[in-house]
Amino acid sequence: MPEYWIGDAEGRVLGPVSLDVVQDLVNSGRVTEITRVSRDGRNWGIPASFPEVMTLLLNAPSPEALLQSERQEATRVREQLRAMQGRPPHEIFRLDRNASVDAYRNAFFKLVKRFYPDRVRAQAHPDLRKAYADAFQFLSRLMVHIERELSSGGPVSPLPTVRAVPSPPADDEPLTPVPTPPPQTARPLKVVPRSLTPPPRPSPLTPPSRPSPLVPPAPSHEGSYSYQPHEFVGFERHDDRVEVTIKVTARNSRMFTDHPLANLKTDGFFLACARSLPLGTLVDVIFRFEEDRREVRSRGRVILENTGGDPTRPTGFGVRFITLVEKDRRFMQQYVDKSVVH
Amino acid sequence: MSDGPILIVDDDAFVRTLLREMLAGQGHPLCEAENGQQALDLEGPAPKVVLLDLFMPQMSGMEALALFRDRWPTTPILVISSMDSDRLVQEALDAGASGYITKPFHPVEIASAVERVLAA
Repeated sequence: MPEYWIGDAEGRVLGPVSLDVVQDLVNSGRVTEITRVSRDGRNWGIPASFPEVMTLLLNAPSPEALLQSERQEATRVREQLRAMQGRPPHEIFRLDRNASVDAYRNAFFKLVKRFYPDRVRAQAHPDLRKAYADAFQFLSRLMVHIERELSSGGPVSPLPTVRAVPSPPADDEPLTPVPTPPPQTARPLKVVPRSLTPPPRPSPLTPPSRPSPLVPPAPSHEGSYSYQPHEFVGFERHDDRVEVTIKVTARNSRMFTDHPLANLKTDGFFLACARSLPLGTLVDVIFRFEEDRREVRSRGRVILENTGGDPTRPTGFGVRFITLVEKDRRFMQQYVDKSVVH
Repeated sequence: MSDGPILIVDDDAFVRTLLREMLAGQGHPLCEAENGQQALDLEGPAPKVVLLDLFMPQMSGMEALALFRDRWPTTPILVISSMDSDRLVQEALDAGASGYITKPFHPVEIASAVERVLAA
């Protein structure tokens, strides 16, 4: 099989790989800038010296064709999502009916990764972004549901449908306008006052939640779980991430415990607040534990958001830590334990 | 199974830190390298597992994979890459990788993949 090495502007090298792989990577937009090519990994030339590689580059889908193909992919994802809805969770995850929660978690992480917001390129068609976000949200809600059902000892039932997946737009419908790339300059974010957040409306399709010995009852928006505006220190947007500074008190330390998917035991937290962040947002978090005069810094990614779609949960966003120093984790756990005792 | 460390080979310092954090709780010694050559220059026992990026400066991950296979024939090598072409996955497995994990990855996934190859 013919072997190729390709290099990018940052000096990184991939190879030996077949020309088919180069084609896959070029066509999917995973590799956008090939600056040099080699057939032996030692002697390099510009792409124009390799007609077969140049052909791939010249035949790479145009931005318009890429957008069209992404729109078709969005339709496929929506169809998959519709097929998943209402099916027993063990079938969705291809597990035995009596699978353990760990088996569900493993299967969940594998499946949800297909729809992870990072998999969509920055300039992707908005329909695809939306379809991925919907699939990601559905699977995240399903996993919360599974954890609840298993912790209460019952069999896992299908996730009650809260809202249907919208039908794909007709082919002759105009394409959704493609957003312009985000500005590269920093811009401040406004903290939205809570009064502007629409109150959650109970859905007639949502069954009453069952009490569970492990999962606390869904908190009220105005309860102690919610993070109040005066407790905010701030959001600050940078080029590729958002810096979130959070003042932690004994009252709001439930951000580390109450959400079944985003809590300290799952390497994350859920900030119940009016301001949400889109899925996949890279977040630098600064926790200020003022009583202990300690600051903990970590980096994470938004793994779930609730802008009011799930009325059983407060609005806000959940983050999973990417980096959290072990001693900081221990400190936070001790802080949470202490707060619960008091 | 080797007594050596889990070796992380990735040019991105952030990814190395991330993987280190994810594996810190498993009790295995860890070491890291910025590229394939630096990994080959390491002294000491053979690593018990290698986590290897594919797109790196100086020496590509596929080249490193072949050299690692020669030097540490029994060490499982898990490729971690953001390039999720099915054909690339197949080529990496054909070249001797024990598994292929696509970025972004989850701590549970990394930890369980490492435990799986160690138990095999």
